[in-house]
Amino acid sequence: MAEEKSLLAVFSDIDPAADAIEQLRLLGVHDDCMNVISGIPVTEAMLGRPSQWTNVPRLALGGAAAGFLVGVFLAFITPNMYTIQVGGQPFTPVPPAVIVMFEMTMLGMLISTFVGVFFDSLFPNYRPMHYVPEISDGKIAILIECPPPDTQKITDVLKKLGAESVKEAEAQHL
Amino acid sequence: MADHKHHTSHEEHLREQHLMLDPMPRGKMNEMVMEAMHTTSWKFWLVFGLLAAIVAYALFYKWGVMILEGLGVAGVNRPSYWGIFLVNTVFWIGISHAGTFISAILRVFKAEFRRPFTRAAELMTTFGLVQAGFSIFMHMGRVWLSYWLMPIPNQRGLWPNFHSPLSWDLLAITTYLLSSTMYLFLPLIPDLAMARDRTPDGTWQKVFYRTLALGFRGTEGEWTHLRNALNIFAFAIIPVMFSVHTIVSWDFAMATRPGWNSTIFGPYFVVGALHSGMGAVVMVLAVVRGTMKNMKYFIRPEHFEAIGKLMLIISMTWGYFFFNDYIVQWYGGDKWTKELLHWHEAGPMGWMWFGMLICNVAIPWAILWNKKWRSTPWLLFIVGMLINVGMWFERYIIVPISLTINRMPFTWRLYQPGIEVWLGIGTLAFFILLYMAASKLIPLIPVWEVQEGQMAHSLKKYGRETVVTVSELE
Repeated sequence: MAEEKSLLAVFSDIDPAADAIEQLRLLGVHDDCMNVISGIPVTEAMLGRPSQWTNVPRLALGGAAAGFLVGVFLAFITPNMYTIQVGGQPFTPVPPAVIVMFEMTMLGMLISTFVGVFFDSLFPNYRPMHYVPEISDGKIAILIECPPPDTQKITDVLKKLGAESVKEAEAQHL
Repeated sequence: MADHKHHTSHEEHLREQHLMLDPMPRGKMNEMVMEAMHTTSWKFWLVFGLLAAIVAYALFYKWGVMILEGLGVAGVNRPSYWGIFLVNTVFWIGISHAGTFISAILRVFKAEFRRPFTRAAELMTTFGLVQAGFSIFMHMGRVWLSYWLMPIPNQRGLWPNFHSPLSWDLLAITTYLLSSTMYLFLPLIPDLAMARDRTPDGTWQKVFYRTLALGFRGTEGEWTHLRNALNIFAFAIIPVMFSVHTIVSWDFAMATRPGWNSTIFGPYFVVGALHSGMGAVVMVLAVVRGTMKNMKYFIRPEHFEAIGKLMLIISMTWGYFFFNDYIVQWYGGDKWTKELLHWHEAGPMGWMWFGMLICNVAIPWAILWNKKWRSTPWLLFIVGMLINVGMWFERYIIVPISLTINRMPFTWRLYQPGIEVWLGIGTLAFFILLYMAASKLIPLIPVWEVQEGQMAHSLKKYGRETVVTVSELE
């Protein structure tokens, strides 16, 4: 089986990019073989693309649970590890423990959310990648994986739909 | 014909007024932001050098002196063991609240005017917390033992006491510092990628931006993860922000002292923090707009007008909480509380008590009700500065002045600050210095957020009236 080729089509606006995606689908390019790269968050609905999967909310929830357990450990377990009885005072009172558990839960949640972005986006990634700097200047690019015999046909269709440029994508250091 | 002309001029007027209705090509906006970062005059370096010298002398040298000589060189002594160090800690934590308030709360409520200055406010949060941290470490005296606060087993066989508000402080401030730094960094990634793309190869700036941009390209997945994370952060960081200053207030309120033991101290402190924080944001925005290139396009009178309204509401809320706190204590009739309230108003520092009310209530109310005045950057700068003076006075009254009066009159002594005045000046200079350095290293305007907002806004005609409409893009 021939190796797939990568094409990078650059559009100046969302509308022609959305039309192009629809046309690519009609040409038999599967959604998994396309990726949209943009300088602003363009929603899947605008481009008619399937919803993207993200683990960030689940990781946040996991982090919150882990943080809560750390809070429980600090508030309820550690006093038993090095016991210091203060006359007339409860040893592991609940109200102050709520504060410790709250802070640790939130810290766990926010750290795991942050780490989740790194984890899901594979950051940091300093390897060569398919990209053109015009994207951060407002252009929208569609990265297409297709069999070599289809490249000319796809290029022609995309140009007809208003692509500013369609070229074979070259991985480069950003 | 005349009607058509009227509508055209009305539309032009709306576009002039509102950044969201006055779009520019993204490339042009990127260029303007990069130009603002790279254009540096000799005046900038003069101020930068001056501040660096102040930081070196007032912060690091004087702190070194205090470490060598001991806390005796500071003015803290019986009965005011908490002096300017704690005043500044509370003050800087207060300043730090504006970043989250503007960025998170306004993001949650989709207040569109926030877009160009969220980062400028978020930077204040991080840098303000750094100064708060400095102030706490100074207050410790033996700063090299600060690790004793951390919950790690040690040779003393002791764990920090989590029943103490001071331990809650450590947890809350650490949580807030880490969270706000992450919240600053996440939306910065696309702008760092933009800066990377616009920086020539072979320069240290390219390495800097390439490293911090983490390989961000703007793929659908990256945006989805980022957007989800920002939503989680925007909601989750709000209770963290509220908890931080509430816990700071509990450092005082948990003590059964006259003037401190108040159930309303938590929200009173939070509102006070927002009051000083908003004042500081408006000062920063006025300076950024006035001194940095191209910033007049991004930061417009409409933004000062919107923040001015918020400042007015917050000022009224602060006045409400202040009076509530005051009247309940005054009405209670406790001997020592009455003594303290009298000391606040008629003692040797009574001018500070009245100054606080003038700066925090009278001046904002007198100026911010007027749309034209609150849209004037230099006037808002002055109001913001006075609010910050007033809020610093408030903390000074709560901390050392209130500590002067206690149930043992033989210990009464007016607090006389010593080396801590220098150290306070040092933290202020360090805050400005960090901000100036950041303004030359990272894009102060979140360009992608501005462009997103501009896409969502449009003008629509209803009958003979042209109105602004906003679409939900997310």
